[in-house]
Amino acid sequence: MLRPTPIDNHPTPTSYDQRETERILSSLLSESPYPPTLNRNTHLNFLARALFQGFPKHYTAQDASQPWFMFWLLQAFNVLGAGLDPANKQRAIDTILKAQHPDGGFGGGPKQAPHLLPTYAAVSALAIVGRPGEGGGWDQINRKGMYDFFLSLKQPDGSFHVSKHGEVDIRGTYCLLATATLLNLLTPTLTANIPGFIRSCQTYEGGFASASQPYYDPDGNLMHSPRPALGEAHGGYTACALGSWMLLKPVMSDEEREGREGILKENVVRWLAKMQGGEMDLGGFRGRTNKLVDGCYSWWVGGCFALLEGLGVKHDWSAIDGEPQSASVPESADADADAEWDDIEDELYNTKALQEYILIAAQVSSGGLRDKPPKNPDAYHTSYNLAGLSTAQHRVRIVEPEYASMSDDPLLISPDESSTERDTRRRKVYETAYYWKEVESQSRVLGGMKNRVNATHPLFNLTVTHARGMLRYFYGQS
Amino acid sequence: MSASDSKPLYAENPAWNDVTPIPQHDEQSNPMAPILYTQEYKDAVDYFRGIVRTGEKSARVLELTEHIIHLNPAHYSVWQYRYDTLIAMNADLKAELLLMDGIATTHMKTYQVWHHRRLLIQQLKTPIPELAFIAGILEIDTKNYHTWAYRQWLLAHFNDDVMWAGELPYVEEMLIYDVRNNSAWHHRFFVVWASGVRTGDGNRQDTLRRELNFVKSKISLAPNNDAAWNYLRGILNHTSTPFSLLRDFIVPYTVPQSSSSPPSYVLDLESPLPSEGSDLPCAAALEFLAEIHEEDKHEESIKNAVLLYKQLASEQDKIRKSYWEHRAREALKLVETNV
Repeated sequence: MLRPTPIDNHPTPTSYDQRETERILSSLLSESPYPPTLNRNTHLNFLARALFQGFPKHYTAQDASQPWFMFWLLQAFNVLGAGLDPANKQRAIDTILKAQHPDGGFGGGPKQAPHLLPTYAAVSALAIVGRPGEGGGWDQINRKGMYDFFLSLKQPDGSFHVSKHGEVDIRGTYCLLATATLLNLLTPTLTANIPGFIRSCQTYEGGFASASQPYYDPDGNLMHSPRPALGEAHGGYTACALGSWMLLKPVMSDEEREGREGILKENVVRWLAKMQGGEMDLGGFRGRTNKLVDGCYSWWVGGCFALLEGLGVKHDWSAIDGEPQSASVPESADADADAEWDDIEDELYNTKALQEYILIAAQVSSGGLRDKPPKNPDAYHTSYNLAGLSTAQHRVRIVEPEYASMSDDPLLISPDESSTERDTRRRKVYETAYYWKEVESQSRVLGGMKNRVNATHPLFNLTVTHARGMLRYFYGQS
Repeated sequence: MSASDSKPLYAENPAWNDVTPIPQHDEQSNPMAPILYTQEYKDAVDYFRGIVRTGEKSARVLELTEHIIHLNPAHYSVWQYRYDTLIAMNADLKAELLLMDGIATTHMKTYQVWHHRRLLIQQLKTPIPELAFIAGILEIDTKNYHTWAYRQWLLAHFNDDVMWAGELPYVEEMLIYDVRNNSAWHHRFFVVWASGVRTGDGNRQDTLRRELNFVKSKISLAPNNDAAWNYLRGILNHTSTPFSLLRDFIVPYTVPQSSSSPPSYVLDLESPLPSEGSDLPCAAALEFLAEIHEEDKHEESIKNAVLLYKQLASEQDKIRKSYWEHRAREALKLVETNV
């Protein structure tokens, strides 16, 4: 007997919406075969239709997100184990490059103003389909122009506008840092004060908000307090905050990493864990306290757990006082399977339940994945549901870095840094980004290997292979 | 036939003859994942690219950009150019703000709509009517993220006592409507704790007492409400107040509702009991009690904490089993380090 979220004899609009969602989601259980099947081919057809036939006219409202569509579609293809043939890869490269602005950075489409978010999407998409050399996309990226564009957006409090006159929020921070890491553009000038901004976005709930409000003293110095977060803790912004924090760790000072500028890690973990919905929500993730579950948070929230170890949250799975690892008595009909899953469950959330949500609630039989029934599927939800499935199935962790010798890059010489300092810094950045590996023996695929999707790099939402390929090239490694 | 269908295309409008429209793609290109635009949209943005090329800033540019914004409110390049045009023309920004009211209501989930308002208010420096406008939007969409964040920016940026004064009553109203609205709880934290001290709220002991009484009364109303518990935990952490201070309040929430509870006319403001019909015990209270034990750090207390975490893992909050086991392990470390 499934237990709905308790209402305490005090219904409110929130509880009405939650009950209605639980009713719809839990009704799927009786209709769905178990274990569920990933309808790989129908989703590939859904993606292919979008790539090759295009989008109907109501997508006009997405005209400023064209590189995003390339990234979502291509990455989803990848996760499902498919790729494009060389001719279509070239077509993809050419399409993406058209969004590059003559002055540097990518915009939402050809001849649009440059913007941090489509810049990240375009570069990530090029990591998937691009290559070095003529027409390959990688060499056609205007790195100097992009770097200057990044600096033009930087604010004294460590934040960035997403575009000229555009909003300031932490999505911009992540998009900039991920791109700059992949393309070997991280400099002290670029990264100054960012950790403090990230920290200031953590709310009392433990997750992160979109931005914070700086206050300056009469001498123009940024005050440590007050520095209030703007907006409540939210899954998307939290993913951006934690990804940004990891990317910056190699260049942070000790004070920034662990001192009063450090993020409160156990608060983050608590907030992330509390975002998973219960059994009548089929184990999906919500993005904010007391809001409804949504398949895209499978990645934004679910994906954050893969970063925790790298952030210094230790969870070792040794016994508690000599008792067996699993302290609970499984209650489901399939007790053996549950117990088996428990033995290998090494994440701080329920990976099996998340896979159930994605496969039972998010999949649409005619192709694509969605927020939740009865909504329609779209490229964004397809991509992030699949990324969430990937992170629930696979353990991708930081492994011991090996020594990497750096070649010099005249583009990024800053006057107040010696070449040794520069090399050391870039090596640390490269190693933090590069040395992630799938721990294959710890995969846990609900429904068997036919449901297996490819593993995803937790920092970039690309495959490890694609991330490494781009990193090797731009950091001068063979 | 809609009004926009009867609007002539810019290509057929003699008033636009002097502008060279610029298509998005060259004839030879064969883009992937194309959007199959309406003729109306394609025509408008071709002419937009045309006036961007020449750098024109004029009244007809304002017409054109307004048209495109209605078709695609997320077209940030168009918003950016519109803003530049308004400034270059020294336009009436009050009129612009009024114009934006309609767009904000139709497209309240779009970043650019709110950001444009913010740019205008920064110029006009008239934030007070914005509070009423925001309240109107929140009546429709009580948890709109952009709207709440914009309200918080407005208050922090202008930092005006008159503006601050209405916020606690506003939050209370929102929480009477829906005590589970986490956006409202977050706003309360913002107003009371996160953005400096409000005028008249200088005695922080009094502030804490007031806030504790407020959140406890809301927990008593509907105990299974993470938003209220997170607020409670938040203010205790923010003021470095031990959780154990609330032991008497918490305990009734950690056991099934008793049929022998005192009659409802006996009120205890310090420790309001769970209201009739509450679903108990609630997970947040069990966790809270565990943390009270952890504050003690003695082996016996830690054992009690671990038992509570195990109860959560196996009964009350099974989905979070691996998380509660993590909490149990962390609790045990407190004993180890205390030896």
